[in-house]
Amino acid sequence: MKNYLKRQQKLFTEAQQQRLEELNIMIAGTGGLGTNQALQLQRIGVNKIYLYDYDQVEVSNLNRQLCYGKNDIGRTKVEAAADFLEQFDLETEIVVSTEKITLATEVPADIDIIFDGMDNFESRFILDQLAAENEIAFIHAGIEEFFAQIMLVLPESELRLKDVFAGSEKKELPAVFSPAVTVTASIQVLEALKYLLAFDDYLENQLLHIDLLSNQMELIDLK
Amino acid sequence: MALEVKFYSLFRINLKTKGIEYQQESEITITELIEKLDQDFEGYFTQKLLKEDGTIARGTIILVNGKNIFHLNKLETKVSDGDIVTLFPPSAGG
Repeated sequence: MKNYLKRQQKLFTEAQQQRLEELNIMIAGTGGLGTNQALQLQRIGVNKIYLYDYDQVEVSNLNRQLCYGKNDIGRTKVEAAADFLEQFDLETEIVVSTEKITLATEVPADIDIIFDGMDNFESRFILDQLAAENEIAFIHAGIEEFFAQIMLVLPESELRLKDVFAGSEKKELPAVFSPAVTVTASIQVLEALKYLLAFDDYLENQLLHIDLLSNQMELIDLK
Repeated sequence: MALEVKFYSLFRINLKTKGIEYQQESEITITELIEKLDQDFEGYFTQKLLKEDGTIARGTIILVNGKNIFHLNKLETKVSDGDIVTLFPPSAGG
């Protein structure tokens, strides 16, 4: 076990902790959700994080994308994020890619799950299809104002993101801010871990709906 | 048994209720359900769920027993007592 992980030792069995430290994660999109996911996944000691984003840092990102500051404006997001994460010297390997994710993207062979860090449904549907074709688990999250939803799609699942969210594409830019984004990404990481570390209960054919205005989290059955 | 309609996100906040139940022994379409909801909520759902031409608006989700009506019979999907209809604007950002 990495020596800085002692305070989380009691949370997991020895096998789970070992598995946790072997996990390789692909984060698709290093915006608000993606930067928060990366920070959490690095802190808990996963083996490797692949960061995918083809964009550069813009001033409008800074209200929620925690790996960037004003000095990073104009830099490639994944490189700025990698520099930020690596300064903590926490052993998790960070691998970056500026490839725009399409159905032709060759996903890394060693990943255990794909994290949705996208900011629109069109991109998410492509990502979900890529996960399905490569038989890799995929965990979706979307956040807007004070509301979010999270859905875990298992490799063998016939129920895909588009089955639930068809018709969700829209043109307007959603309102997003840091506290709600951070909460959502943290729950996304937790839900992914419950599945990856084989906890008894994890999201399966269910949508987790989060209402931060009313402090309510509810499961919506999808079958 | 009743036809259960559940609201989430802004729908719940705007309407100040988690949903509504109807005793609905015979089947009705989603279009007819929206008309019923409009009577109880002052036209709110036509405005939120439908475009001006009466087709389903982008950016909202209508699930019947967990399935998106896009993959069922769209607005002609039939529901009755025992069914659960879930309505919410999905969160798109990240």
